[in-house]
Amino acid sequence: MATMKKLAVCALLLGSVFTIGTALAAGNKTIVTVVKLAGETWFTRMDQGVKDYGVKTAGVTTSEIGPGKADAAQQERLIEDLIARGVDAIAVVPFDPPMLEGVLKRAMDRGIKVMTHEANNLKNTQVDMEAFDNAAFGAHFNDQLADCMGKSGTWTSFVGSLGSLTHVQWADASAANAAKKYPDMKLVSAKNESFNDANTAYNKAKELLKKFPDLKGIEGGSAVDVIGIGRAVEEAGLVGKICVYGIGMPNDTSRYLKSGAVNGISLWDPKDAGFVMNKIAHMLVDGTEFKEGMDLGVPGYNNMHVKQGPGKGIIVTGQAWIDVNKDNLDKYNF
Amino acid sequence: MLKGLLVGNVVVDRQLNFLVSVNVLVLVAAVAIAGTSFVNVYNLQSMAVQIPELGLLGIGVALAMIAGNGGIDLSGIAVANLSGIVAALLVPMWVSADDSPLIFAFVFGGVCLCIGIVCGLINGLLISRAGLTPIIATLGTSMAYSGISVVVSNGSGIRLGYIEPLDDFGHMAVLGVPICFALFIAIAAAIGVALRFTPFGVRLYLLGSNAKAARYAGFSQSGLQLVTYTISGILASIAGLIIAARISSVKWDYGTSYVLIAILIAVMAGVRPSGGYGRIVCVVLSTTALQMLSSMFNFLDISNFFRDFAWGLLLLAFLQISRIDLRSRLFGKS
Repeated sequence: MATMKKLAVCALLLGSVFTIGTALAAGNKTIVTVVKLAGETWFTRMDQGVKDYGVKTAGVTTSEIGPGKADAAQQERLIEDLIARGVDAIAVVPFDPPMLEGVLKRAMDRGIKVMTHEANNLKNTQVDMEAFDNAAFGAHFNDQLADCMGKSGTWTSFVGSLGSLTHVQWADASAANAAKKYPDMKLVSAKNESFNDANTAYNKAKELLKKFPDLKGIEGGSAVDVIGIGRAVEEAGLVGKICVYGIGMPNDTSRYLKSGAVNGISLWDPKDAGFVMNKIAHMLVDGTEFKEGMDLGVPGYNNMHVKQGPGKGIIVTGQAWIDVNKDNLDKYNF
Repeated sequence: MLKGLLVGNVVVDRQLNFLVSVNVLVLVAAVAIAGTSFVNVYNLQSMAVQIPELGLLGIGVALAMIAGNGGIDLSGIAVANLSGIVAALLVPMWVSADDSPLIFAFVFGGVCLCIGIVCGLINGLLISRAGLTPIIATLGTSMAYSGISVVVSNGSGIRLGYIEPLDDFGHMAVLGVPICFALFIAIAAAIGVALRFTPFGVRLYLLGSNAKAARYAGFSQSGLQLVTYTISGILASIAGLIIAARISSVKWDYGTSYVLIAILIAVMAGVRPSGGYGRIVCVVLSTTALQMLSSMFNFLDISNFFRDFAWGLLLLAFLQISRIDLRSRLFGKS
């Protein structure tokens, strides 16, 4: 008897929690964004953009979900359930793109629209959205570095690891850009591996500063490289003498941006990416055509480049990087 | 002895009743809140397809626990991934998936099973002959198996592509029941029957409840353990086959969160961690309860962290209910 009573109370509690959830979803088109990991800074920021799109657009309900643990299996299960639930569109940031081929194919077979982000090797998607062209992004780093270095001097680059595809693309594009435009810039010991660890980047940067006393510029590859490099530059008393640029997160890097040890970081804003992902998913639901040069209404996504992807889908690319330095740091609180 | 059995039986029934009522409760709650689409054929099949891989790992852990001596098998998902990866690498060299897909599928399954047997035997030998504590031994082999997976696959996922018989095995339903789910139920039933009615089962329970008495009774402790861990390895390799069929690719770090979920399933099913007691039907029911609960939360767009919270709550509720009941029974009778 006591057991039954307890169970009844539990059921009542659970029930009252869930009725609130269902009351919200009625009649609208449902777009669900599935991210790599719930609760991570990057995806918490993305959630703002996802919600924003739902609030500003009539007729759609948007939400973001993600596994509590970084595991491809958990992400796959989430999508499996979304298919069963019969949502109108799924926007995914795949943890590991090939692992989702099967489940995304089934989603499309069931008539669900599928769009992805950061997965230009995925075959079973209708639209993959990339914030920018990786080669252009790498060249952009290099142009900033060249300006700061006065277009001459010794420089080097970092990558998370030689296996990180995008990092290597950026570093190679930077090197190519320098070779083409700035003949007086000399690249030494390129693509140092930081293994996505700020402390490794710090030790590597210290070594490099000793080995090449005339070093004038360093480019970071992974999001934490500039933190380690900035610390090494500060400790060596070389602030203002060495130019440091790289990808990074504003809050993590703010200390070094303020001290001048890091001159600037570039990144794409996950909030904008989340907004645009939902916009694209909505366009798929409505059957809108994707045209070269179309404007998705967010700065950086005003002139989208459309090309054929590895499967039947297309890849759309923006120019959505933002440059953060100590002057505009306050605008980016994430 | 008689009294022990009596109490044991009472506990058994309460266990089963509780799990059945939890299953019904979750189902009713889900239909009430998420709507009848929760019980449409597609969603029931979708949930059924997601159950086997976790359920098989859960049964493996349960068997190891029943065997006593601090028994546990942490290497399940590592064995599953290793068998999938080895099969995905080897089988295409022998059989062409395009010319003879059916043979490919069977050879694939065969290779998976062989790897499972070998891995299980290694676990069993380490525990029964070398006398290592199960938790340490299987933690070690789990890391070793994952390591081999990383090395042979270079750490990246291997795509199988669309192989019809394998894909059918992962998704197709015969008479409304997905094939892989039917296989899971058949395996669970076979093991359940073996535990209950064969000498092997009786001896395993006795060994788990009192190893010393079992030794004096004259049956081979190490032999039983060897068989148990080998079965656990085979179950894991079948899970690996199902994973490969379901998502048509394999990767070394797929399902890293399954280790703890499999233990949760076993404990929630009332398997005694110190050995000697546990029913397979309860393991199956605890898997279905977890799956329905997590699908329900996904239907309602509720955070995955809340799902973990609910699972924890369910576990605590179960422990509490069974404990109170046991106590009142004991006091009431004696």
